[in-house]
Amino acid sequence: MSAPDFYFAINAIARHIHDEYGKDVLVDYWQKLGLEYYRERSARWAEGGASVLAEDWRAYFLNEPNARVEVRVEAETVVLNISVCPAIKHMRDCNREIVDCFCEHCDHTCGAMASAAGYRFERFGGMGSCEQRFVPVTHEAKGVG
Amino acid sequence: MLGCQDFCGHYDWTFHYIRRRFGHDAVLKLWEEAIANDSQSHYIKAGGERGLRGLYNTWVKTGEEERCDWTFTLDEQKNILRMDMRKCPSKGFLLDNDRNADEDYCDHCIGWIGPALESVGGEVVSHEHNHCGQCWWEMRMKDAPHEPLDLDIDIRKDPRWGRGYVESWRSNAKLPLLEKSGSADPCQVLIDWFARFDHLAVLGRGPSATDSWAVRQRRDAVLVTDPTYTTHDVFAGEPVGVLIGDRPISLERVAERFNATEPDRRPLLMHMYLPGNPMIDFVSVGLPRPVPILPLLIRAGLYSHRPGKPYPTTGTFLLMLAVVLQKDVAVAGIDFYRHPSGSLYNDQSAPTQDFCWPDWHALDCDRFHIRSALDKATAPVAVHPFLAEMLD
Repeated sequence: MSAPDFYFAINAIARHIHDEYGKDVLVDYWQKLGLEYYRERSARWAEGGASVLAEDWRAYFLNEPNARVEVRVEAETVVLNISVCPAIKHMRDCNREIVDCFCEHCDHTCGAMASAAGYRFERFGGMGSCEQRFVPVTHEAKGVG
Repeated sequence: MLGCQDFCGHYDWTFHYIRRRFGHDAVLKLWEEAIANDSQSHYIKAGGERGLRGLYNTWVKTGEEERCDWTFTLDEQKNILRMDMRKCPSKGFLLDNDRNADEDYCDHCIGWIGPALESVGGEVVSHEHNHCGQCWWEMRMKDAPHEPLDLDIDIRKDPRWGRGYVESWRSNAKLPLLEKSGSADPCQVLIDWFARFDHLAVLGRGPSATDSWAVRQRRDAVLVTDPTYTTHDVFAGEPVGVLIGDRPISLERVAERFNATEPDRRPLLMHMYLPGNPMIDFVSVGLPRPVPILPLLIRAGLYSHRPGKPYPTTGTFLLMLAVVLQKDVAVAGIDFYRHPSGSLYNDQSAPTQDFCWPDWHALDCDRFHIRSALDKATAPVAVHPFLAEMLD
């Protein structure tokens, strides 16, 4: 059930939590969402590696209305080239006021999911198009090598 | 990104996050401020401009986008907008994907529709949902008299309506879940029902439920599962509560005994309503709809449903419930199907050597949940020595 008006609710919930409880709680909410709600996806990424992670995002964006996303694997890094973010597009098309920090939900939710699967999340750009990277964390980078 | 394809899943999880951090009133505020006033502001705009007609048009558009199997009926002469939902795609997402993070996902609809209607001079006259994807609504503008509709497509005439447990609203106010309990909160209904007892005996169906240790425990306030209620296998008296499992052996026999018992001596019937399982039609066999136990277990932090993962056996759920009720508890008959007698149950018909845990249960799962319950117990829990040994 991919009804794009649900993007309104994602945006509104972020605004409500930010305004009611503050940015720290909003960040905590997004991170816990990644760690708890998406626990099974992270586990699949951890087990299957970059190809599974890439295929997961390909399939995911196919079900997001009007998304234009190219997913590729470079070495073991998964790169998402999001030329049209479906959420931003739909909210703009419907003249909705987008929360300033809306794009940060990817940093914290995808960041938490990535971390649980042994990756680091990076985002370049935003508010309609961006590049997202899931970079494998080496033992050296974790400080355990 | 947070997508719209699985929105209903993270929506449910979001309610649970807000509830556990900030409480129930914070969830109500989220529904009113974030959902009614912000996300669904197009409903308020349409209702403000064209009343029930504007709301009708907006809902019909939403229904097309979300592929809702529902019927909206507008009768402006009678000042009534009615909705009959046959298969809610939103709750359906949770049921299909084995999700149940918060206490009551369905409440979010009245949580935003109620305030939205109020803000445009309307109100929810009546609403009921059965937590299985079926619900109905009557809405009106408050400045004129209204008249209910009698429709063939009334969801209450659909066989699916007999499933689940029903919560009801009249004029935006939630009604008590049971006639005997004044509370509309299922958690409080359980607390109220068992308030007259300071102790509870929990009996699983394992052989230890009838040995010398078990029969020494007080048995005037006993909780059993449905097979024991129908077969008397480990307890022949009148229990005060019966937890009907996810795969009941004979609902007809439960109904037979229940309905043959004087009303004042009947036990409280309870059920888990686990999302990944087929929902049971209790009504068609003549039973009242059992009270749900998951909301109380979730509220107490004793249960988190894991999609696709094993969940506790019915006896273990019963123990968790007794602990959450903060009574002195004695528990026997939970033997993990390993009793030294070599029998699964009190009779000799099922040897333990032939037993394999089904995919939906697991020894580790039961152990984890019992240990967690015992760790969180605020009153003494007397555990049968065999179970205590198995937990070590």
